[in-house]
Amino acid sequence: MTNHSAAENQHSVDTKHGAKVASAPTSRAALRKAVVVGGNRIPFARSGGAYSHSSNQDMLTAALDGLVARFGLADEEIGEVAAGAVLKHSRDFNLTREAVLGSALSATTPAYDLQQACATGMEAVIGLSNKIKLGQIDSAIAGGVDSASDAPIAVSEGLRAILLDLNRAKTMGQKAKIISRIRPKDLSPDAPSTGEPRTGLSMGEHQALTTAQWKISREAQDELALASHKNLAAAYDNHFFDDLITPFRGLNRDSNLRADTSMEKLAKLKPAFGKSLGDAATMTAGNSTPLTDGAATVLLASEEWATARDLPILADIVDGEAAAVDFVHGKDGLLMAPAFAVPRLLARNGLTLADFDYFEIHEAFAGTVLSTLAAWEDEEFSKTRLGLDDAFGSIDRTKLNVNGSSLAAGHPFAATGGRLVASLAKMLHERGQVDGRPARGLISVCAAGGQSVVIIMEGR
Amino acid sequence: MSEETLLTEMPSLSKLYINAAAAAAKSKLLRAQPVVALPSRAVEVRGVQANLAKVTEFAHLMGEPARDVLPSGYLHALVFPVAMSVMVQEDFPLPLLGMIHLRNQVEQLAPVLFTDKLTVRAWARDLSGHRSGTQVQLVSEIHTADGTELLWRGISTYLAKGVFLPGLDKPTAAPMREDFVPPAPTAEWRLGVDTGRAYAAVSGDFNPIHLSVLTAKALGLRRSIAHGMYAASRVLATVPSSKPHSFSWDISFDSPIFLPATVALEVLDRESEDGLWLGSEFTAWNARSTRRFFSGTVTAD
Repeated sequence: MTNHSAAENQHSVDTKHGAKVASAPTSRAALRKAVVVGGNRIPFARSGGAYSHSSNQDMLTAALDGLVARFGLADEEIGEVAAGAVLKHSRDFNLTREAVLGSALSATTPAYDLQQACATGMEAVIGLSNKIKLGQIDSAIAGGVDSASDAPIAVSEGLRAILLDLNRAKTMGQKAKIISRIRPKDLSPDAPSTGEPRTGLSMGEHQALTTAQWKISREAQDELALASHKNLAAAYDNHFFDDLITPFRGLNRDSNLRADTSMEKLAKLKPAFGKSLGDAATMTAGNSTPLTDGAATVLLASEEWATARDLPILADIVDGEAAAVDFVHGKDGLLMAPAFAVPRLLARNGLTLADFDYFEIHEAFAGTVLSTLAAWEDEEFSKTRLGLDDAFGSIDRTKLNVNGSSLAAGHPFAATGGRLVASLAKMLHERGQVDGRPARGLISVCAAGGQSVVIIMEGR
Repeated sequence: MSEETLLTEMPSLSKLYINAAAAAAKSKLLRAQPVVALPSRAVEVRGVQANLAKVTEFAHLMGEPARDVLPSGYLHALVFPVAMSVMVQEDFPLPLLGMIHLRNQVEQLAPVLFTDKLTVRAWARDLSGHRSGTQVQLVSEIHTADGTELLWRGISTYLAKGVFLPGLDKPTAAPMREDFVPPAPTAEWRLGVDTGRAYAAVSGDFNPIHLSVLTAKALGLRRSIAHGMYAASRVLATVPSSKPHSFSWDISFDSPIFLPATVALEVLDRESEDGLWLGSEFTAWNARSTRRFFSGTVTAD
């Protein structure tokens, strides 16, 4: 009974503004738990760097093999593996299954691809956790991979149409006639872009509008970027990633990390997005994530499966929620869906922001994190848009992205969810109990298309 | 309408443009006395049907899914040859080539399917003075095959620049140009030099001013310009207008979109208290010079 639509039909709660919050079905307590055993990723590399010539399949296989080695899963048949890539060639239609076949896992491990833009890894974790909770599978690996360096390039629409017609032609005469349609401009390739198809604006341009709307200062964004680098560098120094990362292609830490950056250095950077805003342009290459290559995986299981193999249990996947906003004409910012997903998820679980010990809010841009926090602190937004009686609340900033996040580590789109879930599981496990309850963490990831996926986890 | 010309098939736009060019040459040679009245005849074509391949290409060019319901902008392209036939009639008082598109007002009264057989009528009305020439309205209507139900009506306002006909009053002064301060854009279009050719290919409107720098220069423009209906159709593709049964739209053109161009666009939706789409207002401007290209509204009926 964790099926979302069923829960919504039978247990939906109408808020006064008509926003529906799916409430927890009464039988959820009867479900078994889905736990995080651990994770493995390869270091993230700035695009055009160490992984320039590594394919999505190379990187996903490397991350899987590291996970297999860490938890002794060689030749093991896993219940199911789900992963995806945002920038994916159509020939990689079975990317995850192919990576499984090339990995040390048993060849009888089923796998599927999924894709929800930057939330791909998060959705993989929720879907597989639900299967474990329902008893359909006992173990699972969720993951994601992306390469901005080795991105697929398509032929132009004109050439594509001609080649398809050519394939359908029967006689030589027909074929010659079709070939004669090719024009020089048809030969220019069509590379993927980060532009939103419906608006033509890049993600950065969209966020620049949101950042200006919520009046987020350049200084506040640079401070968040600086904290991300400092926290990530400290986490490496403290060996936090020793059992979360396997080196690949000569890289043993995220290549975007600048441990020696400073407010002065960040302040020198020129605006990269929102230049049409003039003086209000605040987003630079320093407080925005770079294009990145990388892969991440998370091992999920039932308690019984992990215990039987004497594997660690780091945390529970408690619940997850997806949301989307109508950004096309600017009603909400492109990356503001987390502002809606988190209040809904917390309401369903009877929690407030004060009940969390860690917040992992994906740093697509520093402005994204700060706009989301500003919206939650805004009484008007909370009343009119979230249907609450008061401001949703603020978070203790010392609990935010404490081991660094995407601004420092980089953001290979589909891999970010796996990085976040594995890292938070370890943090929660290390924290243990807080005030007589398990340490609790929240992950929030925004995604292209105005979407968001968020997850609550509790430590063991 | 007192009289009517019934065409047995859809006229060819390319032939109409050639006729228009010939007429222009002839009137220069003969220095014919200008006529100051519009022909009273309507032109009608029966049994008109959309070309499915073209509709599909049209929708894809606009970035919208190709549905069985025809895009409202495509219907303008469908009826355009009939309106052109009105304008190439010998007694039509204005030269067709080089006419400028000022405004389009469309009422979409019911959805039209690609399988529908249609009756299309067009006529001219309201010949009137304009500060920089003479303007005229072309009314086009799409009816069910039996002519009993009106499905779509479009009114296009055109300006023949520099043509002043005797007896037509013209407004003396240009209206005050309001200062335009561009808002934050909600979208951006990067239009390449081939934008006009691409729209010509899906709409059939091969007006030379849209095709290339050379053909545009031949008609006195410094570069080729985007079709106004391309802009209108792209805006329509992004508003929820396909959802209500009937809706209307209205677009006014302030300045031509010389190609290539970066068009900044703001679309503002109006919603009812319970979140139903009531309509949208849109404005587009040159992202570099901030000169306004066009503005308008889409309204759910």
